[in-house]
Amino acid sequence: MSAVLQLSNVVKTYGDLRALDGIDLSLPDDSYVSLLGPSGSGKTTLLRVIAGFEPPEGGTIRFSGKDVTNTPPHERNIGFVFQNFALFPHLSVYDNIAFGLVNRAVDPVTDPKLVDRKVRDMISLVGLTGLEGRATTQISGGQKQRVALARTLVTEPQMVLLDEPLGALDANLRARMRSELRMIRERCGVTFLHVTGSETEALAMGDTVLVLDRARIAQQGDSDTIYNRPCSPAVARFLNCYNLFSGKMADGGFATAQGLLGFQGQPQRAADPAYAIRYDRVDIRPAGAAVTGDEVQIEGTFIASEYTGSAVNAFFSLDDGKVFEVEAHLSHRAPENHEPHRRYALAWKREDALVFA
Amino acid sequence: MTMTAVTEEIKTEKAAAKSSSGKTLWLLAPGVLWMLLFLVLPLAMMLYVSFWTQTTFKIEPTLTLKSWITFFTSDTYLGALWTTVRIWLIVLAATVVVGYPAALFVGLFVKNKTLQTVLLVLCVIPFWTSFLIRVLAWRPMLGKEGAINMILMKIGIISQPIEVLLFSELSVIIGMTQIYCVFMVGPIAFMLGRIDPSIIEAAKDLGAGFWRIFRTIILPLSMPGVVVGAIFVSVMVLGEFATSAALSGRKVNLLGNIIVTQVGSLKWAFAAVAGVVLTILMGAVVAALLRVVDLRKEL
Repeated sequence: MSAVLQLSNVVKTYGDLRALDGIDLSLPDDSYVSLLGPSGSGKTTLLRVIAGFEPPEGGTIRFSGKDVTNTPPHERNIGFVFQNFALFPHLSVYDNIAFGLVNRAVDPVTDPKLVDRKVRDMISLVGLTGLEGRATTQISGGQKQRVALARTLVTEPQMVLLDEPLGALDANLRARMRSELRMIRERCGVTFLHVTGSETEALAMGDTVLVLDRARIAQQGDSDTIYNRPCSPAVARFLNCYNLFSGKMADGGFATAQGLLGFQGQPQRAADPAYAIRYDRVDIRPAGAAVTGDEVQIEGTFIASEYTGSAVNAFFSLDDGKVFEVEAHLSHRAPENHEPHRRYALAWKREDALVFA
Repeated sequence: MTMTAVTEEIKTEKAAAKSSSGKTLWLLAPGVLWMLLFLVLPLAMMLYVSFWTQTTFKIEPTLTLKSWITFFTSDTYLGALWTTVRIWLIVLAATVVVGYPAALFVGLFVKNKTLQTVLLVLCVIPFWTSFLIRVLAWRPMLGKEGAINMILMKIGIISQPIEVLLFSELSVIIGMTQIYCVFMVGPIAFMLGRIDPSIIEAAKDLGAGFWRIFRTIILPLSMPGVVVGAIFVSVMVLGEFATSAALSGRKVNLLGNIIVTQVGSLKWAFAAVAGVVLTILMGAVVAALLRVVDLRKEL
């Protein structure tokens, strides 16, 4: 697959703050890319720089073979779907969607019949048939989302940027729009770059997942790699499924406040050393249970648990006050009852631990 | 049992709602009373007086159409009506032409909210001086030996002073535009400031250039501001008499000037006729402007 978008060493600063600190990035054509980052990591800035709303201070942006670093947004042919949708409040659904075709500076469509055909095709593609004449204030959040998407797609951009597109929708609708977004993308055959702060959304949607941390791309890979092999403690933290211990390498393990924790294999290189174990790889046992040779065990006091339907998340307080989370999937076992304020042993296999040093 | 309790509750709630809406109506009482006493009653009185019989020295409550006939057959009064309409239209256009770009700058291109407020306050600064001083200050500015003529002559653009600058219709228009422009800038800047910046970015992203965005997005969304500003300016210009008296050297007679002169010579019936005509004209203008944009929907 050829790269549709290439960023090299892109820098953007606001005063003393480096919002983007040398971003290098290459996105494949015809794929769904999700960009995960905590708030303040610069993900919206990155999108705005790619779209051309903010000029970068350094670096180059190449889009479909051309250098577009200094091209104004209306000549880039990159679509942008805003978080708050940004529909034109004085225009109907139909006119919102037709806006780009009729009003663009480059190659506007002047034949009203052609505009009508394209708009109606797009309306049926995103499932808005029957709402053409409605004002944008008279439609629901999900419908606004579709109008925003249709308005962008109808101009046939080579790439679409979506800024937390599902953030303004309720949970139910969010799940439905996820599959719908993927389906619409496949039919259009363009690259979607979907920015989100939700790790589940990023993993579920992206063919490729980018993780942004402190104004840099921390990791790029497919969902499976990102989830199972995060390349730094920061990435592991965003994924929200790892217990992390800071400490340093020592003889025969990793020294932390919980003592020496064993692991297998080579530690990954990272700036800040850490020991990570996934929530769902931990076994809860009565305090003082026996440990086998390939296991690591620590103790903690049970605080509370949270039932999520398919799993139970149990929270333990370790001796240094740190909270340790354990996720037990209920497909294989019934939920166990733990007594608050009682000590339990928490054990996992050495080979399941990830170590960064 | 539970059912009855619930119904009871609903009943009390309804009663409470009713009595509270009855109570809230009292909030309107001072306003309604004020308007009745000092707006509706005087308007009715003015209409009534316009049909009274006017003689040279006194006025009698005997109903007659004489004042009305005099008004609509006299060249002076019809001329004043026409001058009023003409000056109103020119000043309205001038305030839009001068005010809209200023409002566009303040409301849309100044991103800093504090700076926006500062700039709008700057627009209001002329109002810190009295009306009379503001109007009279134009004389040393526009006069035959005024600042503008002197500067133009000094740099050699003209050799004779431009006399039309003062004591003419032009000076009245210049003076009025300067005074009333801020009433146009304010509402437009307010409406422009309410436009979500991402809407304009979306239009850019969809490929539209600046002028296209201005015509299709910014202008329609700021129209309510233009209409509100136009209502302010229209009502004030149509009722004007001081600017024209001070800057036209009595050459420009607006309906307002007619009323002042008639009242001055105790011709109450004529003054009332002119007042009724002026009120109807303003009502028609405001109604027409409100037709342009549905303010209730937009604001």
